[in-house]
Amino acid sequence: MAAFPSVEWFDDVRNIFNNEESFRGGGGGQCNCVAGIKVGNEIFVLTFEGFECAGARTASLRDLDEVDFYLDMEIHEWQAMIENIRQNGHAGLGYTLNTLDLDRAERLATSVHGDQYREDLFFRYNQTLQYFFDASSRIATEFAR
Amino acid sequence: MVKAVKAAAKAVKSPHAETVRKAVAAPMLEVPEPKLTWMNKSRQWGVRVKPGKKGLTLGSLNVGIYGEIPMDWPDQTRNPRGAIGRKGMPPVGYMLRSKSQVWADSAADLYEEAIQRRWAPATDVPWNTVKPLPDDLERAVCQVNTELSQYANVEIEVISAWQHQMVYGYHEVKQYLATAGFDAARHYEVFRKRALINGGGLGLEGPGQVNRMILESRGGWTEAVVYLVLVRGLLTQTILRYLERYASNEAESFIYRNVLQDKARLMTYGLDHLKFAIAHNEDQKQIVATLLAIGDGLFIRDFNDPVLREALAIIFGGSIDGARGAGMDVYHDMMRAYISTHLEYCQWLDVPRRVPERLEQYAPQD
Repeated sequence: MAAFPSVEWFDDVRNIFNNEESFRGGGGGQCNCVAGIKVGNEIFVLTFEGFECAGARTASLRDLDEVDFYLDMEIHEWQAMIENIRQNGHAGLGYTLNTLDLDRAERLATSVHGDQYREDLFFRYNQTLQYFFDASSRIATEFAR
Repeated sequence: MVKAVKAAAKAVKSPHAETVRKAVAAPMLEVPEPKLTWMNKSRQWGVRVKPGKKGLTLGSLNVGIYGEIPMDWPDQTRNPRGAIGRKGMPPVGYMLRSKSQVWADSAADLYEEAIQRRWAPATDVPWNTVKPLPDDLERAVCQVNTELSQYANVEIEVISAWQHQMVYGYHEVKQYLATAGFDAARHYEVFRKRALINGGGLGLEGPGQVNRMILESRGGWTEAVVYLVLVRGLLTQTILRYLERYASNEAESFIYRNVLQDKARLMTYGLDHLKFAIAHNEDQKQIVATLLAIGDGLFIRDFNDPVLREALAIIFGGSIDGARGAGMDVYHDMMRAYISTHLEYCQWLDVPRRVPERLEQYAPQD
């Protein structure tokens, strides 16, 4: 059982996401962006290329300068989202990425560079990003408290 | 061929037999020797573009002379960029012949993205998750979907009205806009379907001042983009985000999320184009600012109409009672989000912008 957050956890999700045909249709499809994931103080970088999430790695705060956008939540917020996805098989109405982005005083999706064009990739690839996290419903997750 | 004609002439005792015999005697039915002179006509031969990880994309074809995209395109025929034009072709009369009038670097990628990320309202939306709603909520959902479908219709008309005015030199833009028109058709379809699936129906037509403003923007495509993207597009995007947040079921969540995604492509094209236009035309920045100021008056007329506001507040509050408190609070949040993002976009474009007095309550406090 992979622990969240870790590269192993993202790799497990990648493995499901990259091999699931249904994620390539229904508003999903090719996605080309580099997304940061900030879980409290821990940072990861996901690279999406074509139909796949090509890689996940640990990163530093400075690496966030380079990503197109990053998703920033505290561990308990990530946990609530992942547990909801696990329960429903996909994000429930209160836990979609768009909803979480709206519900937070500080947005979920943000960037260091402030480049509108790159920040908007969050919306352009929203369904693919949602499918990626929805894929986590198929793995068991352990949370580091 | 000649043998066949002779045989026919013998066999058929028709009034035309004499004509056929004459045709056989004359060389008029002989096939001329092919000249094949067209085979040497190419501005650049031997091009071999290889598919990359994203496949053989439209943008990857821009190699050698095929990647030359000049700032002006005087050729007014339908000659594809990179081909050799025929002499004496009558002009089609394209109005938009300058790169700064249409271009966005992202157009080719957006075209590919639109093709890739298409979805079908008939089968991809989980319609089975739509369950009966309280009457007031269903009426509000139907009213909002009525107005959103009207917005989509305007988008189709505006895009198609300008697309055929663009020269073929900038085909990436024409192709992307073809997908944007198709996206808008899909939106018209899906909003209509949501209105008609759950025992409700279409509601009241929207006031349409902004619709008219966008449709009747005659100054140029860039000017239409200002209204289509910075005003209407951004407002629609913001509404969609809040509708997704307050969706009553998985079907609505899917609809609004996916329309949002399609809309994000048009927003990207629009911002990218305005940035390009501003960078290549000294006056453009001020023109955009002036257009926005003119548009404020019509935007406020639509804004003053209570129908959309009330319907949205009912959705956000879950009922008419809920609309009076929480629903209106969320509506005001939504408007603040719209104005705030609008100002961010203007700042990104370096366009001076002042929030009109009627909307000042939604302006960021800092």
